[in-house]
Amino acid sequence: MSEPPSNSTNPTAQPIARTKALVRLERVTKRFPGIVANDRIDLTIQAGEFHAVIGENGAGKSTLLNILYGRYRPDEGQLIFEGDDAPCLFAGPADAIRRGIGLVSQHYASIPALTVLENVILGQEPTTAGGLLNVRAARRRIGELASRLGLSGLDLDMRADRLSVAAGQKVEVLKALYRGARLLMLDEPTATLAPSEADALFVLLHELTEAGTTLLFVTHKLREVIAHSDRVTVLRRGRNAGDFLTSRTTEAELLERMVGRSSPSPMASTILTAQAEGKGDLSVDLLSDSLGEEKRSNGSVLRVERVSTRASGGARPLVDVSLEVAGGEVVGVAGVDGSGQRELAEVIVGLRGPDTGAILLDNMSIARKDVRERMGLGVGFIPEDRQRAGLVMDFTIAEDLLLGHERERKCGGGLFLRRRAMQARADTAIKTYDIRGGLLGARQSVQTLSGGNQQKIVVARAIESAPRLLVASQPTRGLDVEASEFVYRSLREVQERGAAILLFSLDLDELLAMSDRVAVLFDGRIVGILPRGQATRDTVGALMTGSVSGSAP
Amino acid sequence: MKRPSLSGILHSRALFLFGCVLGGLGIAGVIMAACGYPVGAAYGALWTGATGIQTGPADGLSQIGFVIAGRQVHIHLFLFAQSLARATPLILTGLAVAVGLRAGLFNIGAQGQMVLGALGAAVAGQAHGLSPAIHVPLVLLTGAAVGACWGAIPALLKSRRGVHEVLSTILLNYVAVNLAAYLILHGLKDPERMAAETREIAASAWLGTAPFALQSNLTGGFLIAVVAAVGFAALLPWTAWGYRLRAVGLGPEAAEAAGIKVDRTRIFAMALSGALAGAAGAIEVMSVHHRYVEGVAATYGFDGIAVALLGGLSGIGVLVSALFFGALESGAAFMESQTNVPADLAVIVEGIVILFAGIRLVRRSRAREHIEEGRQATDVSA
Repeated sequence: MSEPPSNSTNPTAQPIARTKALVRLERVTKRFPGIVANDRIDLTIQAGEFHAVIGENGAGKSTLLNILYGRYRPDEGQLIFEGDDAPCLFAGPADAIRRGIGLVSQHYASIPALTVLENVILGQEPTTAGGLLNVRAARRRIGELASRLGLSGLDLDMRADRLSVAAGQKVEVLKALYRGARLLMLDEPTATLAPSEADALFVLLHELTEAGTTLLFVTHKLREVIAHSDRVTVLRRGRNAGDFLTSRTTEAELLERMVGRSSPSPMASTILTAQAEGKGDLSVDLLSDSLGEEKRSNGSVLRVERVSTRASGGARPLVDVSLEVAGGEVVGVAGVDGSGQRELAEVIVGLRGPDTGAILLDNMSIARKDVRERMGLGVGFIPEDRQRAGLVMDFTIAEDLLLGHERERKCGGGLFLRRRAMQARADTAIKTYDIRGGLLGARQSVQTLSGGNQQKIVVARAIESAPRLLVASQPTRGLDVEASEFVYRSLREVQERGAAILLFSLDLDELLAMSDRVAVLFDGRIVGILPRGQATRDTVGALMTGSVSGSAP
Repeated sequence: MKRPSLSGILHSRALFLFGCVLGGLGIAGVIMAACGYPVGAAYGALWTGATGIQTGPADGLSQIGFVIAGRQVHIHLFLFAQSLARATPLILTGLAVAVGLRAGLFNIGAQGQMVLGALGAAVAGQAHGLSPAIHVPLVLLTGAAVGACWGAIPALLKSRRGVHEVLSTILLNYVAVNLAAYLILHGLKDPERMAAETREIAASAWLGTAPFALQSNLTGGFLIAVVAAVGFAALLPWTAWGYRLRAVGLGPEAAEAAGIKVDRTRIFAMALSGALAGAAGAIEVMSVHHRYVEGVAATYGFDGIAVALLGGLSGIGVLVSALFFGALESGAAFMESQTNVPADLAVIVEGIVILFAGIRLVRRSRAREHIEEGRQATDVSA
């Protein structure tokens, strides 16, 4: 970093003389049908700085990155590179890469069957005079690059699909630098990392800035911004809601800009504040009184006993998983992404069969029953992939609310659908759950709804039939504060009715705030189940990485 | 529930398709003119052949006459009936393809299902001493049942073994045609005929010709096809099974997660698809040939794909587009007999219409991708 721009006094206007602008965005606007994703954004990225962009989901962060990376063309505004006079229009990512821009995206793009080395050189393969692939030269160059970054431990010959999430991310960084990136953009790189892995990534990033690389770091985690960035831009609803010098701002100030109202509602602000203060466990006591022991004496609603599954089609096999959830209890399942959460949820709702072990609902074995039978017995499910597994996107609201209930008597009970009853049912749900769509009401296509309103349909469908057990997978992923609050409230209602809830979430703060107990999955095993008093960011985080093994009760 | 208004339909789809048809006729007209054919006379004959409507004095064949605005207009009932007769198998194969696609499976095997359905019907038609009230439904159902079994195979292969249905349905077409040829050669052949054909079916299994056009191929089979189209149109929005079918086609993962048995629904859908194609074969046997003949299915099974897509996979849409194709082909045959313009012109028109309609499909799916992309990029809530 050439100069930490910390001597400015005005955080919103940045007269920084000694640093040079690398890229300037001027009044950049990008529209999608029905959405202004970026609304007249001005943004200057200084050479050599660690620039964070923070905002809630849907604030327009990814769109901004895609514009800088040449994937989207702005509808208005311009992008001015370095000392150029003319605005620059990228024809596509190849152009951006040529200009020295690298992107590590949320879903990174390695080819699974190729090795690390092959993935890194893909697109810029060094060749010998005869036009053959010069593997030796590639290995040397990448080796040098890796050792300079302290990544010499990386096995260049490992197949990309065998890499851990964290290692895969490092390969992405390596890939961008190999292509000569001067500006490296990272899109929520820590979302799928355990705390210790995230720390390691930041060490790497700081080394990059030392070496002169400019970083544009996109996240929604306040703590990361405050701890690591030089400057921060807050995005809210597609607009630039303020530029700040990190040293001159506070988490509270950033949070206020992000959320855009002085008093966010209790649950959201509690969670966000807890997140901001790095005390995830603080919120626990604020949110609900501890009832753990008393609840468990109600008898367990769900009992999973020594369930194991085989590996099939890229699924993580479960190994000897045992778990109990009592009526009125929320058990959270923590773990780094891909530790077996999806598989466990699927085994419990019946989408995947256990190879060994037992699953009991109210002391009745359900392991051999199919999804419909389990739902009939009181299993509700909020799938993690809302748009694929949660909803039929081409259906109307009324049709999607009916999904899985179409055989029930009140909806027709057999051959014919009672469309009027269906309509009435949908109208009620729209009112009860405040599903906001368009002019067509229940006949509105789900496709046109916002993510939050789509999730309301999924939640409504899952909890409407008063389940005994609710399996909620990533129920707030991609939702804004308001929609997240709705989900939290709904889960609490289900809990208060005495149902058992199994909550899967990658958001540790949310998990700690909601759960009576937290089970931690690592590598397909449960490595610990912590009661609420003992579950903290540190204890759970340590279990998530597999660095310690907890005591499973 | 989608309940588009009549005006909405008129403005979007129907109007667009009408434009496609005009465009197709226009371009085909240019081609005709370039080849030195009389365009006006040819299209006049095509129109008469397709609709039966003719101006001028009557010429003796079965027809109804009117006087409109001082001019004599006749409806040539034979030509009109031939158009409907030609549309009959297209309605059924179009529905067959539509059912499959609604469940998310692309059935390219309607051809083979129709061939075997026709053979099954021809065999069941050999029975003697049955009253038509029993024999006709028996033969029809036999054809449908054989088609259903043949159609279910690709769905079973897909759910059990993951074989892609496009591949298996295409390949099963060859198997069906050769299986039929084999069975005829080994036992089903009419020994009195040179060609590889079955014996004639009993008269009790014949579908009667429309009384107003006794020389035509139009029979009660047309009504059966129309009933099937209307039934399909009602099935999708009004029944639980139709609802499941759409859910499975549009969002298989969501359907599965909600407890709908995706594989089972798809197997039923493909069986229904095969049954419709098989019924098409049976009706051709019962109406036109009265025996299984080689080429009984012509290219109806493949044409059904175009009919289904042009009809937007809806029951009424399939009905309308099949009537259009039927009228066009039947009209083209008449045109050739009157003006020497080759009937293959109909194929050109069809090709252009499908091309135009396809452009719209692609554009719509592009627009959807765009929306999807925007949503993923922003995921703006509330």
